[in-house]
Amino acid sequence: MSKLPIARTLVIASVALALCSSAAAAEPRLLEPERAFALSVQAVDEKSVEVRYVIASGYYLYREKMKFAVEPGALASTPPLPPGILKDDPFFGSVETYRGRFALRLPLAGVEPGLKVTVKAESQGCADAGVCYPPQLQSVTVVLPAPGGRPGAPVAATPARKSWFN
Amino acid sequence: MIRPFANRQMLSWTGLALAGLIALGVGLYFGGFADHGNVTDLRGTEAGTLFGVALPDVKGREQSIGQWKGKVLVVNFWATWCVPCREEMPEFVKAQREFGPQGLQFVGIAVDEATKVEAFATELGLNYPALIGGYGAIELSRSFGNRLGALPFTIIVDRAGRISHTQLGPIKETQLRTIINQLL
Repeated sequence: MSKLPIARTLVIASVALALCSSAAAAEPRLLEPERAFALSVQAVDEKSVEVRYVIASGYYLYREKMKFAVEPGALASTPPLPPGILKDDPFFGSVETYRGRFALRLPLAGVEPGLKVTVKAESQGCADAGVCYPPQLQSVTVVLPAPGGRPGAPVAATPARKSWFN
Repeated sequence: MIRPFANRQMLSWTGLALAGLIALGVGLYFGGFADHGNVTDLRGTEAGTLFGVALPDVKGREQSIGQWKGKVLVVNFWATWCVPCREEMPEFVKAQREFGPQGLQFVGIAVDEATKVEAFATELGLNYPALIGGYGAIELSRSFGNRLGALPFTIIVDRAGRISHTQLGPIKETQLRTIINQLL
């Protein structure tokens, strides 16, 4: 064996590779929906909040499935959803999807500075790997600042886990 | 005594052994432990709770899954709003037609509304029962190991009533046929 170092290297490398690939799952690891579609809300001023989604690579949301509400108070007008990426769906026809990051300003009515408002967001998305998640209903509570005051810090819908694993 | 850095030959052996161990470690981390997978491994367990499930079909008639005990049962959680779910169903229809006489039974549990399910079932020429589960069916699938609560999720039960296979995501036709052939 010591006379053929290349052969030995190849044998060991292929065994290592075989161990690695056989141990690895046949299917890709999928994220929990709150992590695939990470939502945060920021109180921008005394009458508006900004909703932000950070969508993990390989995942997408359906534009037409996005829904928002606030409590107390109400949305002053229908929030203009940003245009999405057109996706040709074999069943639905042309649908718009969101990938990566997008943000949306929600103008509020019947609110005042210092008010604690709960933003309710509903979204529905899928993974390119071939699974779809049911509609996700999430709530985030923020405090509206005073007029001219500094925007509040963005509040995450699901706090990031602090762990070495996952 | 092993001296890893004694000479070039030992150095290369050490390096390769280390690479092998790292590769194995990475592989085990990503797939070796069922707990970290997309689906809890329930293979071999009795499907008793599954047989106890009763849901209405598209016509509103209550159907108990227990009526299909003894068959090779493929329970598929799906929805009309789930494109990958709909894409794999023609292959299920084909398999039902081909292997139904030998004891294969597909049952769809739709996380959906009856009217939408009925429309799609007619369009597809669905030849197996479509039960209406609504969003509560997601919780039901979680109890069978669907950790992420996503679709499609499929449970395959053998004739003895034990769970043989569970999967999140579409099942390729070749994989489905391999499993079916083993169980029939």
